[in-house]
Amino acid sequence: MKDLSAPANPLETLAYILSKQIRDHQIVYIGTGIPMIAGILALKTHAPNITMVYESGGQDPIPRDLPWSVGCPFTWRKSPAVMEMSYSFAQCYNGYVDIAFLGFAQVDMYGNVNTHQIGKDVLHPTVRMTGSGGNNDLASLSDNLILVGVQTPDKFVEKVDFITSVGYLTGGNSRKEAGLIGDGPKVVISQCGEFDFEPVTKRMRVKTLAPGWTFDFTQQFTGFELLKPEGEIPQTPLIPDDILKLLRTEVDPRGVFTTMPTA
Amino acid sequence: MAVFNYNKVALENLKIEDTSVLDRLVNFESALQAHKKKEHAKVDKRMTLKEAIATFISDGDVISDSGFSYVRTPHQAHWEIMRQEKKNLQMIGAPNTNQSFMIFNNNVNLSHNSYAGVEMRGIDRNYDRMLKTGRTKILSEWSHGGVALGYKAAQLGTPGVFSKQMLGSDIMKYNPYLNVVQNPMRSDPDPVVFIPALYPDVAIVHCQLADKYGNAYIYGPTVNDVAAAAAARKLIITAEEIVPESDIRNRQGTIIPFFYADAVVELPFGAVPGNMPGYYYWSRQWWEKLIRFGCVNDENLKIFFDEWVYGVKDQFDFVNKLGGSRWIAEARMQTKAAEGDHEDIDFSYEEYTRTHDSGLYY
Repeated sequence: MKDLSAPANPLETLAYILSKQIRDHQIVYIGTGIPMIAGILALKTHAPNITMVYESGGQDPIPRDLPWSVGCPFTWRKSPAVMEMSYSFAQCYNGYVDIAFLGFAQVDMYGNVNTHQIGKDVLHPTVRMTGSGGNNDLASLSDNLILVGVQTPDKFVEKVDFITSVGYLTGGNSRKEAGLIGDGPKVVISQCGEFDFEPVTKRMRVKTLAPGWTFDFTQQFTGFELLKPEGEIPQTPLIPDDILKLLRTEVDPRGVFTTMPTA
Repeated sequence: MAVFNYNKVALENLKIEDTSVLDRLVNFESALQAHKKKEHAKVDKRMTLKEAIATFISDGDVISDSGFSYVRTPHQAHWEIMRQEKKNLQMIGAPNTNQSFMIFNNNVNLSHNSYAGVEMRGIDRNYDRMLKTGRTKILSEWSHGGVALGYKAAQLGTPGVFSKQMLGSDIMKYNPYLNVVQNPMRSDPDPVVFIPALYPDVAIVHCQLADKYGNAYIYGPTVNDVAAAAAARKLIITAEEIVPESDIRNRQGTIIPFFYADAVVELPFGAVPGNMPGYYYWSRQWWEKLIRFGCVNDENLKIFFDEWVYGVKDQFDFVNKLGGSRWIAEARMQTKAAEGDHEDIDFSYEEYTRTHDSGLYY
């Protein structure tokens, strides 16, 4: 059984920081995993009036248990509308989606995302992963994009092995020049804290650090040189006890997404 | 005769020398001829699954995948393809990953990809192995939205659509069908991707209800299925229940019109062991066993498919192995609870892990 009084683990911290990106009354595009937890946590705390939308088509479902898949009935439970997939992505293009979350296997200093493979050769990768799914569609079309994942030097790399989804491409204006709409990723969230992108170079920069993390220590978890903001780095908000309890008892009681993997 | 302008960088990166293998997916003229030649009269098209697969799937066909992530996916039809040992199929792995298993069984050897995996249950190690050992060759990489727009363009009756998806990404370097062009409506620089209309040879759509003519009713996410059904040269409808035409006429909801359909198969449990809205929830342990035991190596996967595909006669046999009427009752209760108002139903279950196999599939 779960120890309800144990300190928050990194995945629970991630879910909380992610949920804090959501403001009430927003339309939120949700993918599998931690974003689902964050959406439901936001709904049960500071943002009870958000509308969740899913790529499989569910619009404004009434959530219940955690979806087992993006196509699971919980993603379209009692939805007034269930849309075809092409239309579901089109809502981002057309400006109806206020915030979207994406995961990654690798992210680089310009916020480009890889969910395709480890290794550079597409025909002979070291490990083939899932490919895009809807990752590229959301990254290409969304205005307010939040990237989320666990941080290690292998995952935060100087150059991703395959650009599944464009962040700021090679920095500067290169995203706009490639023809993409939307402003590119706003924030990257990991267990170390929050990162934004320096406005001119579009390089990843520390925004806040989670309790216990210093800039130098975070740098050691990063495969490229992080930019340091001016002045003192604010602390990432700590998950309050009552919200942690809610997360463990009501949002993810079986720890489907917030249990740390074991060997 | 159509002469196609494939993305040369992608052809080179994918080492595709003979481009004729790519043509059928974008060959409008041949799809048009196929649609014209179909039976347009409203006739009874019912047949068995065996007959439908034998008649309408030929070696070398381009097969599309329907449903979403093991929801309303025609698994039982896929396995009949495996049992009939079809060869050299191309499969569009969007939005599912089921091509992986047909590659292992030597039915599919050419892949159009947008996703391969089981979401949070992890990556598909079988697909990884099939790719690295050359048992499948990638013909094109896509995003989910890219494939969805290709089918949609076909359904809309257009040569293709312009999109902002996939621009600037490496997907563009591994998809011969995609080219970046300047938006012709603007004189300031505005790159767009031209996504051609996609015409798979075969779509198999599993639905809740159909009449004997092929009017097919879908409840829950329709994903790409209506568009793919409109585009495909051949359409096999499999349905949980065959109902009178009047039943379809009295319903509101998404209907695939009968004249797209070539075959209508009454196939209760046609999406087992996936989720069928209104009918049954996933067998979650089955998928965990496939991913955590089966996909680990060739030997395990052979054991797994010998048991679950070649060792069963049909879907009724399969359901008996899952737990028979007990499984049906549990799975029905769970999907109804997931879609509706049964607040006291608990979704906990005994997860399959490599150290714990309860033997239960519900």
